[in-house]
Amino acid sequence: MAALDGLRVLDLADEKGALAGKLLAGLGADVVLVELPGGSALRAIPPFWRGVPDPERSLFFWFYAAGKRGITLDWRAGRGAEVLERLARSADVLIESERPGTIDVTRLRAVNPRLVVASITPFGQGGPYREWKSSDTVAQAMGGMLYVNGHKDGPPLRSLGLQAYHQAGIFAAVGVIAALLARDATGRGQHVDVSLQAAVAGALEHVPGFWHQAGMIQHRQGTLHWTRYFKVGRCRDGWVMHCTLGDWTSLVEWMKADGMGAGLDDPSLDDIKTRQAAAERLFEALDAWAARYSVAELVEGAQLRRIPYAAVRAPEALLRDPHLAERGFFVPIEHPDLGTTVPYPGAPFHLTDAPWRVARPPRLGEHNVAVYGELAGMAPPEGLV
Amino acid sequence: MRPLDGIRVLDFTWVVAGPVTTRILGDLGADVIKVERKGSLDFGDRRGGLSGTLMRGKRSVMLDLNDPRGLDVARQLAAVSDVVIDNFSARVMTNLGLDYDALRKLRADVICVRMTGFGLTGPDRDHVSYGPTLQALTGYTLLMAEPGRPPAGFGYSYSDLAGGNLGALAVLAAIWHRRRTGRGQLVDLAQLEAVASLVGPTLLERGTDGGTSVARGNASQEAPGAPYGVYPCAGDDRWLAITVFTDAEWETFAEAVGRPTWTRDARFATRDGRVKHAADLDAHVARWTSERRAEDAMRLLQRAGVAAGVAADAEDLCAKDPALAARGHFVDVPTPEGRTVRIDGPPFLLSETPAHVAGPGPLLGEHTDAILSDLLGLDPPAIAALRADGVVG
Repeated sequence: MAALDGLRVLDLADEKGALAGKLLAGLGADVVLVELPGGSALRAIPPFWRGVPDPERSLFFWFYAAGKRGITLDWRAGRGAEVLERLARSADVLIESERPGTIDVTRLRAVNPRLVVASITPFGQGGPYREWKSSDTVAQAMGGMLYVNGHKDGPPLRSLGLQAYHQAGIFAAVGVIAALLARDATGRGQHVDVSLQAAVAGALEHVPGFWHQAGMIQHRQGTLHWTRYFKVGRCRDGWVMHCTLGDWTSLVEWMKADGMGAGLDDPSLDDIKTRQAAAERLFEALDAWAARYSVAELVEGAQLRRIPYAAVRAPEALLRDPHLAERGFFVPIEHPDLGTTVPYPGAPFHLTDAPWRVARPPRLGEHNVAVYGELAGMAPPEGLV
Repeated sequence: MRPLDGIRVLDFTWVVAGPVTTRILGDLGADVIKVERKGSLDFGDRRGGLSGTLMRGKRSVMLDLNDPRGLDVARQLAAVSDVVIDNFSARVMTNLGLDYDALRKLRADVICVRMTGFGLTGPDRDHVSYGPTLQALTGYTLLMAEPGRPPAGFGYSYSDLAGGNLGALAVLAAIWHRRRTGRGQLVDLAQLEAVASLVGPTLLERGTDGGTSVARGNASQEAPGAPYGVYPCAGDDRWLAITVFTDAEWETFAEAVGRPTWTRDARFATRDGRVKHAADLDAHVARWTSERRAEDAMRLLQRAGVAAGVAADAEDLCAKDPALAARGHFVDVPTPEGRTVRIDGPPFLLSETPAHVAGPGPLLGEHTDAILSDLLGLDPPAIAALRADGVVG
């Protein structure tokens, strides 16, 4: 049995909030993606399977809709809005990402007082920027993530992946389950208000803290981590992540055995604060030494000595990683219409008594008959689906 | 009331990822007891700032887990806790006799959360890691770069925040599961997998086309669009993110910037054309932004309906941003010493049972006496004896 078995979620969110429903579906909730009759805008976003643009072939859509069921409904006005209310009567959760005020949350909560509504918007439901627009990169910028990534002589760099949307999705899912737990005690649902900007701010590390405690502004400094214990270096055949934490003595002995690392056996460097201060010199010495190794050799030798080194890899390396293979991180999912099976990235964590669920994304309107029947006791409403 | 009222979390976590998980549980009302040792790592002031934001609202008990009596105190605390969580590498809790098999004998329905780097199974389970090394392994470091330039990656441990926030989701789901079934469980959270799960559609793309990923700087990874990027503004290291997708948005943008000649270039008339000629378009946009203050350009564009935002530095974010201020994102928390410290609050708002910062970060061992006496019923002489032997502090 999955953790959220039996919970019903209506998911009206666009790409800004799509991860929330995906996470709840992974945890076992019955998440129904509600698309406008023409199909979710996500279906038009590339890349496409085998490069052919088609609403059923968007890998972007596949990623975010995996595990959800799908219906169509023009919920924006009139009879469609009434049908949405009818569906919401038998739902536990509704997720949306419209401009504040577009969806009448008060009305939905009056219709079903047990309903938890999660709204994912650029700046939240209130405040001076509530009407402002955003995107993943704008949210990363205004949430403080962007400014500290990149080389000193280049622009601030956005993340790999839509991490503003992802953090908003995670916090929405956290807020939803918290609200459901509260509902056990109060009998009532509530409104979960997630701001993309605040979600990004909630995924920062050093930036706000050092401002609060010392009025310090952190700047980007290339691959040198703010703690000054990590920096990207170069091996014979590729990039490696150096680390001066872990078993320093073993690292220096290893270098000395290679006839390198002169001066690094200075006992003052046994203290991590000294190593922090000497970061530039240490990484220079480590780089001169690393050049004689392949990435694989260096990482293997370091891990044997309990030194946290890692290869700097492309994401596709994950698909060939024996460790992830043994743990079953990628889950093969069949797309029968296309006659193919696709490896989907799977669980972010394992609840060992409540397995993560990965399933194919829905075709447009695939579950209309089933969902309208189960949730509203009606046939798919003509003219609205 | 708060959603996790009555839930107790025994928190062995350290550094960043684990404390991020437990701070959210604390915001939601859980009693989080931080088990610390003498000389535990912190980032300066434990009350506020970076350490205080990680430890907000938690209580601290100081135990020597190398002493059998200290370990026994830890076991007794586990017996009265709903959730026991650590983020050591896999073998540490096993060696201490505090892994799931041991804990469930103390409390059958315990939720045991192991936030290791690589998980409890698999050939790399004993590898050591930190956030930056996990980001390197999962593609973030390599692909966060300008085209053709060396990797840059995150300047911080995003992986710790990603894994930490997902850890809170895991715990909430496990608590929900226990309420329904009466069963606790082991949560195996590999931070490698947590951050890998957030790479996104790129992994499906590579899994189906077998191709090679290349760094594309600040180009859109969502719907195609141009201009889409981060542009230099007047002043020292000031930047503005501008993102335009549809033709209607392009028209709005062109109008907002006063329809200079370049906005009428036929190559930029359609979305496909703008994306194809993005480099030329970016150069025009960068010239426009570099003559303006980032804030002025942002307001001008947002008033017209264009998504634009300043690349906020710490001061912009913490001291000047009116949206975060309106949400009460940063909170001033009184300390027992009569100081006030500033701390980041939970980034999501609950309308009926709000999560909130329950207090400042604890001093090391601040609550040792209260916890040993209230939860374990130890009397002052017993506590004094343990303290005299350095078992508690």
